[in-house]
Amino acid sequence: MTEIFWSVIQVFNYIVLAYFIVLHAGYLVTSVFAFGALKRYALRMKSLDLTDLITSAWAPPITLIAPAYNEETTCVESVRSLLTLEYPEYDILVVNDGSKDGTVERLTKAFNLYPASRVPTAELGSADVRQVLRSRRHPNLWVIDKENGGKADALNAGLNFCQTPLFCAMDADSLIEPEALIRIVRPFLEDATTIAAGGVLRIANGCVVSQGRVVDVRMPKNFLARLQVLEYLRAFLSGRMGWDALDATLVISGAFGIFKRNVVVDAGGYATDTVGEDMELVVRLHRYCRENDIPYRIHFVPDPVAWTECPESLAVLGRQRDRWQRGLFQSLTRHRKMMFNPKYGRAGVIAYPYFFFLEMLGPVIELLGYVSFTVTILAGRAEWPFVIAFLSGAIILGGALSLSAVALEELSFRRYPRLSDLLQLFALALLENFGYRQLCAWWRLKGTVSAIRGVQGWGHMTRKGFTVEATEVAD
Amino acid sequence: MASLRRLAGSLTVSETALMVLVAVILALFAVTLAFSVYAVLLRSRHRRRDRLWEELSARWEAPVLAALVDADQIPAAQACVDEEHRLHFVRFVLEYTRRVRGEERRTLQKLVAPFLDGIAARAQDRRSEVRTRAIQTLGTLGLPKYSAEVLRGLEDPSPLVSMVAARYLARPEFPEFTPIVMKHLDRFEGWNPRFLASMLAKIGPEASSTLRDGLADEATPSWLRAVQAEALRMQLDPVAGDLAAAALPGTEDRDLISALLRLLAAVGRPTHVPIIRELCGSSDIIVRAQALHALGFLSNADDIPLLVAAMDDESPWAALHAARGVREAGGERELAELAESDHPHARLAGQVLFEEGES
Repeated sequence: MTEIFWSVIQVFNYIVLAYFIVLHAGYLVTSVFAFGALKRYALRMKSLDLTDLITSAWAPPITLIAPAYNEETTCVESVRSLLTLEYPEYDILVVNDGSKDGTVERLTKAFNLYPASRVPTAELGSADVRQVLRSRRHPNLWVIDKENGGKADALNAGLNFCQTPLFCAMDADSLIEPEALIRIVRPFLEDATTIAAGGVLRIANGCVVSQGRVVDVRMPKNFLARLQVLEYLRAFLSGRMGWDALDATLVISGAFGIFKRNVVVDAGGYATDTVGEDMELVVRLHRYCRENDIPYRIHFVPDPVAWTECPESLAVLGRQRDRWQRGLFQSLTRHRKMMFNPKYGRAGVIAYPYFFFLEMLGPVIELLGYVSFTVTILAGRAEWPFVIAFLSGAIILGGALSLSAVALEELSFRRYPRLSDLLQLFALALLENFGYRQLCAWWRLKGTVSAIRGVQGWGHMTRKGFTVEATEVAD
Repeated sequence: MASLRRLAGSLTVSETALMVLVAVILALFAVTLAFSVYAVLLRSRHRRRDRLWEELSARWEAPVLAALVDADQIPAAQACVDEEHRLHFVRFVLEYTRRVRGEERRTLQKLVAPFLDGIAARAQDRRSEVRTRAIQTLGTLGLPKYSAEVLRGLEDPSPLVSMVAARYLARPEFPEFTPIVMKHLDRFEGWNPRFLASMLAKIGPEASSTLRDGLADEATPSWLRAVQAEALRMQLDPVAGDLAAAALPGTEDRDLISALLRLLAAVGRPTHVPIIRELCGSSDIIVRAQALHALGFLSNADDIPLLVAAMDDESPWAALHAARGVREAGGERELAELAESDHPHARLAGQVLFEEGES
């Protein structure tokens, strides 16, 4: 009986080993694709004068939909930043999702809002709208004040009032760079079948912000936030860029993505019964277009940037990761029909299985692997050279992936100009393998369990807020 | 090789696994090291490049500004450019060119003229991005001298290169290129139609007759006719209304019908109203909405009851266009009555009246 147990453990250890290799091989493959794609992209951007392209030609009007819930500390600064975007024609719809703080009052005072009339142009389900407000100072700024219903519900409410062919889904507390809209709209001009495009999210903690703009990019002082800088680089530059090169983008960040309004409305808008409404929408758009024979493209564009404040405490970060994992689980299980289904193209055959087995089930395998390894070692059954080789392999592999992301950043956008930033990123690429990575796996495992138990809700998120004049953010 | 095979044969399974693992680790270590070194080298290269650019910019700024003020200073400014930095200089001047027009732009063109041969050579590069950049530079600074290179760009296998070439050739100051650009429009089928229309409209009246001919020709693909109709709308071409009205009956393509209706809304006449009125009952929501929009612009008080009734349309867009149509047709009184009633569309009427107050 005991021998059977140890045989099972040994087999499991090999499965974990295989998992690590496949997972990291997957990351490395996307990194390689991202490398080529970013290099081409950087050259391509040099060959285009985007501002000239947009301002001298027809640029599709865009509505920015910014759901806000208890954002009184950041909303005014964020809206100010939105008002300075460089784009010919855009509306801003801030959707107050039943905030319990003074979000609406602050916006009203700062932008001189008054009750106005605006008729919905779609009928997506959402909680009741209490009032529609408009700014006297900035006629393109509207506030939809509604009962609380969650982020997806707020986005649907915004979509109902959207009157432009494109809309941009974002977080009210993000800072979008002035040229970001011009950059992100490019795929819609070059390819009429483009239905969605996502931009890059970067960490604003530690950066110097002035007039709603990030004017000096710096690494955060908080260690957790620094680790997230590296994580975001890896996720966006290696991951999403690679998936875009494979034409299998399955995720567009809810903090900054642009969509064709009519396609999203026809597909039913945002799902209100998931906490991963951003990913769920993109997966559903793949299904909707494929099932209705609609030619479509979904892009990731690596240089339109939105800056966001990331959690600086373990508790808040844990809740965020728990929610992300639940969102991933809900999105993937809802559309399991896509698994290995050639009808859904590369999204179904490559991206879906990758996200299902490696991203969704990954934390379960990884944590059980740690337990099984520990048990094997404690029982004296481990072959030490094997264990040491395996662990050092995992660390080096993790480090290689992170360093590839740092190299991609150097190749393309170089947002962290100081040499000390580069050295910090190098160090973090190795350090994150000791504790942080395991902690993230633990939060994600908890998220998976919560999703299976049907837990809903976002969990409480605290924001420190942006400061108005050239001072550092949230550090 | 034989000794390696002997060694492999003598190992147990777990030893073999260990060897493989060690090999993988070593390979990964090499990859990790390579990435780190690559990142550092890139950083160093970028720093060097940035420094050089700053240095060159500082060296050239004053002579270029002097040349802009006084064209006699052009030779002096050209003399500041070393052989090895000629392409940098073109890039430097290109940045300025985007900010100036007219005589100043021509001065800058003269300033870089001796250095553009190097750019023309890059228009043949194997990388499409480099070719695009070259065409962009030649289009901005080298026309008409380098028109052969830019025209060749229209035939380039890369759609981006051909689009950039088309954008620089489709300009009012070069009417001779308009027919050539028109002939190549089929290359841009995948691009956003309004983007294309905007490019064509900017050529100005020179392009109007070609656009009209294309629109009138039923053999032209529908998507291209829709683009041409849109361009004529942007130009507010007074003759195009009759063409649009004539084209509508034989058309089934939704995008083309919508474009024709938008064109009629912009330049149509009351004689076109009957054909538009017919389409207000279309089963296609988009066509119906566009027809109501056009009707509002062209009709008079006679059509107000039809437009008020259309405010009940199941499509919020059609209802919105109908309400705006009521306003355009002079039905403010009807809208005001609706807005003050408890009618389901009171809000819609209120919004449209409010929009009028704004405009």
